[in-house]
Amino acid sequence: MEFRFRKGRDFDLGPAPANKPAVSRDIRAVGLMAQDFPGVHFDMRVEADEHVRRGQTLCVDRDNPDIAFVASLSGRVSKIRHGARRRIETIEITAEGNDDTRFDIEAALEDDTALRALLLQSGAWVGIRSRPFGRIPTASARPSAIFVTATDSHPLAPEPAHVLAPQMDSFTRGVAALLRLTEGPVFVCQAFGPSLVEPGERLRVAQFSGPHPSGLAGTHIHHLWPVSSHRSVWQIGYQDVAAIGDLLKTGQINSQRTISVAGPGLSAPALVDAPLGAELSGLLGGGHTDADSALVRLISGSISSGRATRFLGRYDLQLTVLNKHEHAAQARTALGRLFEKLPHKAIGATVPSEAFERLFPFDLLPVPLMRALAVGDVESTERLGGLELLEEDLALLSWRCPSGSDYGKLLRHVLDKLDEERAT
Amino acid sequence: MSLPEPILTRVWDANRLVLVSVIAILAPLTALIAERGSAQLVPLALALGVAAFWHLTFSLIRNRPLGWDGAVIAMIFVVLVPASVPLWQQGLALSFGLVMGDLVFGGRGRGFLSAATVGLAFLLFSFPVTETAPFGTATVIAALGSGALLLYARILSWRVVAGFLAAMLLLSIAMILRSFTWPLPPSWPAEPSAALILGLVFLIGDPVAAASTNAGRWPYGFLAGVLVFLLGHSGQDILPSLVFAALLASVFAPLIDQVVIWANTRRRERRQRSV
Repeated sequence: MEFRFRKGRDFDLGPAPANKPAVSRDIRAVGLMAQDFPGVHFDMRVEADEHVRRGQTLCVDRDNPDIAFVASLSGRVSKIRHGARRRIETIEITAEGNDDTRFDIEAALEDDTALRALLLQSGAWVGIRSRPFGRIPTASARPSAIFVTATDSHPLAPEPAHVLAPQMDSFTRGVAALLRLTEGPVFVCQAFGPSLVEPGERLRVAQFSGPHPSGLAGTHIHHLWPVSSHRSVWQIGYQDVAAIGDLLKTGQINSQRTISVAGPGLSAPALVDAPLGAELSGLLGGGHTDADSALVRLISGSISSGRATRFLGRYDLQLTVLNKHEHAAQARTALGRLFEKLPHKAIGATVPSEAFERLFPFDLLPVPLMRALAVGDVESTERLGGLELLEEDLALLSWRCPSGSDYGKLLRHVLDKLDEERAT
Repeated sequence: MSLPEPILTRVWDANRLVLVSVIAILAPLTALIAERGSAQLVPLALALGVAAFWHLTFSLIRNRPLGWDGAVIAMIFVVLVPASVPLWQQGLALSFGLVMGDLVFGGRGRGFLSAATVGLAFLLFSFPVTETAPFGTATVIAALGSGALLLYARILSWRVVAGFLAAMLLLSIAMILRSFTWPLPPSWPAEPSAALILGLVFLIGDPVAAASTNAGRWPYGFLAGVLVFLLGHSGQDILPSLVFAALLASVFAPLIDQVVIWANTRRRERRQRSV
């Protein structure tokens, strides 16, 4: 299956790390952030200051205690940060020692229930997100299909084919394990080029090309296997699949990911091997002083859907480094300065434009959808296909819309409301 | 949960949208002032004052920041309004358009009509307009230029323009083929006039009044074209036929969008059953 998209937009942010070999850098701290997991309430399984092994359960989801969040690094729990209503926001671990957890994989190789248990226990399950709603699936959920996203159209993202090249064996084993989690098909979505896996009866390969968002799971799922309130699918990133393959071979978790570190605020882009949730300043590597870091903004994820945090997000495979004063520099022309002085409207209404359709490679109607989201109309959003989308799919529309609304955030409110209704 | 900050600088915001529209309408406005002399500056000042007054009033009542869209609406109104209309009538009509076409809905983008169209329609309904001053060649060229700019900025949809031109062309061909003569009033110019282009670009093509889906923009433009043609051939002047065609078409635009939404939902439901 081949899909060529013309709709979308690429942003030119300078050189990507391309096909350089991955280097490793000294990561002193990792963090697990609740904001990566909508709807999850952390329930601690370790104490502050406790020493944890790599792969040890740090916390579980309060509502689904089977889902474990594990340490991606051997070290000491240095800080547990609470937010509003004593909700745990971040769990920080400082690197210390090199202790590993060994999981029993014998049963999982044969038995599907044991495989699920192993994935849940080892934290690999957290790499899966289900659509609709973008939540971590429950332990017993059976999706109608699983999507492996092995292409990435985010600006400055790592090249999946290059990252996977040394791990093809693990990737294949991981895909085989995914086939045991569903009765439906498993789609491997990749860029044009040689197939990453040998297609089979239930294993299908789809190739995508075109500007961003042609590499997002939402785009793939919409065109191959649209979801609804009656049908859910799972999506998982290519590096998470390879990590499952490693787990099933060695019995130890592979928490290392290959991260692209690039952006206008950085002279030499690099591919860095780092643990999940690595501290962003550590990803920049040695040579960077505090004075340097004061001049840059570190974004976990891409420029279109990333966010400024201290740690790498669970599903992010890149660190975008922006100059702090870049925005101010743009407005140095006389007209620009005059423009800055005009009172800016608060979040207003959108003005329809064909440009929205040109950024949105879905068979959905962007302007009616944006209007429904802007007024929080849950029913219309559902009817217009909002269930097929997650925050990242709307990033380009938010960027282009003159109203200043963040449609990703609005969509999250609507999805949470719909999910609540469904649960009751 | 901490709020994600906007990381990617937006290229478009409400002010920039207004700025591009102002540049677009300034071209024909300047050409018009050059043609008709500086007497044209008086209605312009009046219109801008009226727009500022109503926007200020509504932003104070509603406690919302002030928008700049009113200036664009005022300029469009001044360009299209017949010069012979007394100033108090112009001010009244523009006030009606601003308030009933735009501000009562909560500002630009929240209503479904173009304020300039509503104002002009009010004027043409309420007061007899005897003669419409012709536009010169400079205005035609300026109008074409502003149309091109708005098309380039994607504020004006090329689908609306194409639908409109298709309707005009098809009806003209049909009349020639059936050798059916349905004479136009003598005031209609033979070639595409500035009024026609300005009406298409700023009244019919107003993104807020037009259909908001790609599939709906074609029938919307086509409908507007048919209406202009029919109204023109039933003895109306060019300005009234344009204004009333734009008004009627924009009343139908939400219906067209609803049909498109319905078709889209149905198509996606079917596809969901088939895969």
